[in-house]
Order: sequence, then structure tokens, then C-alpha cells
Amino acid sequence: MGIIIEPKIRDFFTGRIWTRNHTPFPQEKIDRYIERGFFKVKSAISSRVHSFGIIKMKRYHCNRCHNENQKEFIEFDCARCENKCVYCRHCINMGRMSLCTDLILWKDGFPKSNRNHVLDWTGQFTPLQEKASKELIRSLMENRNHLIHAVCGAGKTEILFPAVHYALNQGKRVCIATPRTDVVLELFPRFQKVFPQTTIHALYGGSPTQTGFAQLIITTTHQLYRFEKAFDVVIVDEADAFPYTFDESLQRAVIKAGKLDAPTVFVTATPSVKILARTKKEKWGVSFIPKRFHGHPLPVPRFEPLWNYTKTIEKGIIPTKLVQWTKERLHKNEPFLIFFPTIQLMKIATPLFESIHPDILSVYAEDSDRKEKVMKLRNEEIPGLLTTTILERGVTIKNVQVAVVGAESKIFTSSALIQISGRVGRNVQFPDGDIVYFHHGITTEMDDARNEIRRLNKMGFGREKG
Amino acid sequence: MKKEVYNCLLCGTPLNVQVTWKWLLGNAFERTICLQCEGEFEPVDSSMDTKSDFEVCSFYQYNDKMKDYLHRYKFMHDVALAKVFRNQIRQHLSKRNEIIVPIPMHPAKLKERTFAHVDELLKAANIPYQHFLVKTTTETQGEKTREERINSPQLFELIENADVNNKEILLVDDITTTGTTIEHARKALIEAGAKSVKAFTLIKG
Repeated sequence: MGIIIEPKIRDFFTGRIWTRNHTPFPQEKIDRYIERGFFKVKSAISSRVHSFGIIKMKRYHCNRCHNENQKEFIEFDCARCENKCVYCRHCINMGRMSLCTDLILWKDGFPKSNRNHVLDWTGQFTPLQEKASKELIRSLMENRNHLIHAVCGAGKTEILFPAVHYALNQGKRVCIATPRTDVVLELFPRFQKVFPQTTIHALYGGSPTQTGFAQLIITTTHQLYRFEKAFDVVIVDEADAFPYTFDESLQRAVIKAGKLDAPTVFVTATPSVKILARTKKEKWGVSFIPKRFHGHPLPVPRFEPLWNYTKTIEKGIIPTKLVQWTKERLHKNEPFLIFFPTIQLMKIATPLFESIHPDILSVYAEDSDRKEKVMKLRNEEIPGLLTTTILERGVTIKNVQVAVVGAESKIFTSSALIQISGRVGRNVQFPDGDIVYFHHGITTEMDDARNEIRRLNKMGFGREKG
Repeated sequence: MKKEVYNCLLCGTPLNVQVTWKWLLGNAFERTICLQCEGEFEPVDSSMDTKSDFEVCSFYQYNDKMKDYLHRYKFMHDVALAKVFRNQIRQHLSKRNEIIVPIPMHPAKLKERTFAHVDELLKAANIPYQHFLVKTTTETQGEKTREERINSPQLFELIENADVNNKEILLVDDITTTGTTIEHARKALIEAGAKSVKAFTLIKG
């Protein structure tokens, strides 16, 4: 006896790889579908024995996150399967995957996709944006990978609109992935606005359940662990933002989430040497935009020594130069961001800044009010925000001025510093602003960041500025 | 020598273990968390709890760091974290003369969690232990109010054929808040003829 497939089950599971016992549906129902063969069931961890002559080595593989780092597999005596079991520590934050956990994959066909998507956008492209947008569509037609290398504030998201529209109307399923939840939260409403008739889902840790079959998904790269051969086009925005560059398994997740031969589009202001090399070797389409959409050059950072700032702050004093900088912002009524190298240092500094102005707040990755605090700064309800590198990308605040404390710290790589500098002067009315690196010694990363910004200005304007 | 842990089990930063004479010749376990993380756990001021009418020893306060640790260990089921406190646990328990008895989990709960968290703490520290008790209820103390906890009916039974007569026992649990669990276990053991029952918990809630 057959069963009638409920659309909500099919809509949800299409393209997903999910834990059998933790679905948003009643367990009996899922088990019934499994019995009838609608799902492929596989163990979350597989093991293979590799033999080198007489030496035999067992190697584990996580079927959700595709982790193969053997140090991250933990063996233990399991009371559920009453056996020696093993679990993957790599993706444990998304619920533990062990040898006795089942993953399920939807076998049945795709829901019918819509081909009548409306792009409701009336903005004007600059000639460079126009060119990049056309190049991207060409790459999608030819099914090849594409890199959009554009400076912060070049209007990267808008460049994607016509290409996404084209792909959707081809009946394709599109995914825009980014390493940062903040970027998902920023992109989602913008895409909803310009694609008013398209079902779009936004996925991130703790996102609400959304119904229907989404032909366009905006997600964190982490959530891609939960997809397999799902998308016809995968766009990775801010491709090299932490943790994407460091984490091989996240890169594998991007490949795994796409169907075989699905083109990948990388969008970034700071492409790594590796990506640039791949574009040449594998003949990707490449679009380069060295100019901001408003036609003004990128603000060039200035270096300002702040010797022994850690000790000074730990003693309960904000270094004089930093106080002056902050007071100047308050006096001129300019919103500001101050980046800190560590949460610890920022937490010590927060009450000290509160004594300068009681409304100065601080944010970090685990802060549950992160969204609201950034919103407050944008709405000019608070004068400024202390932050970790979490706000280095995707945040646009009118007329914001930026200081980096401890720019010599390891966490501030040249690409992080370029991104941070890219927060300044994004608005047509305020195309310039102060970006200062307070440091305890100048690093090559700082020099690299400043040189790259100068180089981009030179390329965009034919002469050096700033 | 093969290293077991390369990165801090809690924050993932690489561990740089310095080779010292003490490390080579001593028998301390290898470090599993970084100094930074270790510094965020707060020890209890006095290890003796005077409120209770019998001896309960605890190591750490239940601060945010500890809350996060316990959440990841018990509820995210990260068994590897049993190793985090193995040096402290061994230091404290290896010289004790009493029989070490972990507070047991209800069998249904154990199936669900896939591991007995107290047993794993002891295993990681290489401390031999023995089970004398069975938990008779699947309720957890953490979900109840203070009044409900204090007035709850007996939580434990003795294992069949267990002989605790005249034995000195040290109960071990992960955390104690009102002390109800420990008190119930102690009562069950004393009624069965144990000579003395003391207790050790990793955390004082």
C-alpha cells in the first residue's frame, strides 16, 4: 500500500541530510516514510580500513560535515548501541553524530520549481557593476565557476540580483552561503524585498522553522552541513571570512551542498592567493571592481602607536589617545566602532568606556542582543559600539568612524583589517571617515592591508589618493 | 610519545605543552585545556560544607564557564570532556581509602545520554569505583523547585545482593545544589548498614 506524500515533508527534506530522530515532524511519521523507502538511511559516521602492507589503519569519516581529521573522532563505550562507538567532535555543536546515529536523505524527486520569479529592483548600476553582473550571468550560462573581486562598498549584493533572477527563472535552486550569521541577517531582508514572489529561507544557528519549498536559500556555511546535492548554483559571499578560510570541512560542505557540476560563485573583497590561483588554473570567470559604487576612493588607514595598551586597560585606564579619539567622535556626533583583539580585553574596557558615555555598548559572538545593539547604533540611539572581529564584515552604518585597538594582534590579518577599514565611508553623503589602527608595534599584516587599499585606489582612479 | 590532545578541548587553541622534568618523571595526566580556560574555573573557597550534617567536598563553583562546560559535557554529549578535570579528580580521590560509589543514572536516562557522566569522570581519572545503587526515578533534580527536591520520595534503591555492611563509602557526583541527591543516596546506604558515607562533587551549585 502506498502513501500520499505530504508536500510539507517533501518540501522540507528535498536536498537535506538530516538526523533521523530530530526532525520537525512526528517520529512515527518519519519512520513510516523510511519503511516505505522514501528515504535513504545511513550511519552518521562511516569507517574504512586502510591497509599499508601489514599495517591496518581505521579511518573515520563524518557523513554530515565530511570531517576526516582523525583527531576529532572520539571513541567511547556507548550505552545506546552497547558497543564501542565513535562520534565526531567537529560538528558537535549541531547535535552529536555518532556511529549509532542515523542520517536520512530524501530519495523522491524534487518539487516542481517555479519559473516566474519577479525581480523588483530599480537601482542603477555603475558601468563596472553592470559589466560584472553580465559576466556573472555568462558564467552561469556556461556552468563555470566565477569570482567577483570587489572592494568593500562596491555594491556586491546588487550585482548578484540579475544573476540570481536568471538562475531562478531557469528553474534552478540557488543558495547564497556566508560564514557569518550577521551577513545572513543583513542579506535576507534585501533579497526578500527584491524577489517578492520567491520563497526564500534564511538559515543560521537558531533560525526559526520556515515552511514551503525554498528555491532560494540564504544560509551560513555551517548550515550547509545539513544539505547534500541540493543546489544548482552555490554563491559564497564574503568567501574568505573566518572561519571559512581555515576550515577545510566548511569548504567541502560547499561542494557537497551543490549538485555535481553545479557552478560555485565566490564573492569577496579580499580573495586569498589560493582562490586567485584557482581562478587562473581552472579558467573561472573573474570580475574585478576596484571602485566603490559612489565613486569615491577607499579611506586609507592611519597607524597610531598605543604602547602597552593591554596593561593600561587592565589597570582600569583607557589610554589617553583612545580617550581623545572617542571624545572627538562624541563631540562631532559621529557613530563609531572600536574593534578589540579579544573578548576578555573588551570586557575589561567596557565599564571604562561607560564612564566616558553611559550608552556605549559592546558586542561579541555569543551576545544574544547582537542584532539589537547593531540596530541601535544604526538608528543613532547609541553613540558607539565596542566589538570583536565579529562585526568586521557585512555591517553598513552611515558615517561610521572606526578604530582598531591592538591592530598588531594575530587575529587582525590583512584581510580582516581591509574588511574593517571597508566599514568606513560607504554612504554617498559620507564617503570618507577616520580609520585608525592603534597598535603596539607595526606588523606586516598592517602594512599589507594599507598597501592593498592604496593599490586598489590606484587601480580605481589611476593615481594614488590618501 | 604520542599526544592525546593537540588543541584545548574547550576553546580549540593549540596546546603548547612544555617539556619539564616534572612532566617527564611525574605521573600527572597530560593537559587537556589551555591555561586561559583553566583560569576561568573558580575553585570553591572552603572545601568543607558546614551546612550539611555530614561531609561533602566540592571543587569548583558553578560559574558561567562551568555552566558551559557541564552543558557541553552532559547535554551536548561530548564525552571527551570527561578528561578536563582528571588531574584534579585523581589528586583528590586516588589516596582515599573509602570505596568510591558514583551516583547512578536511571537506565532509561542512560540509554538516552549514551554514557554515565559520573562514571566517565572517574574512568578518565583512572579511579576504580563500584556501583551499589540504582536510581528508581527518571525525574531530574534540576527540573524541580527547592521544596519539591527536599520533599521528594527516596530516589535510590540498593543493587540486589549488594553488601555494604560496615563499609566506608565515598559518594561521587558531578554537581550538588541542595544536597538532596547525595542525602538520599547516603540514607539508602546507611540503612543498608554502611559504616560511614561521605561525598565528593566536582561542582558546588
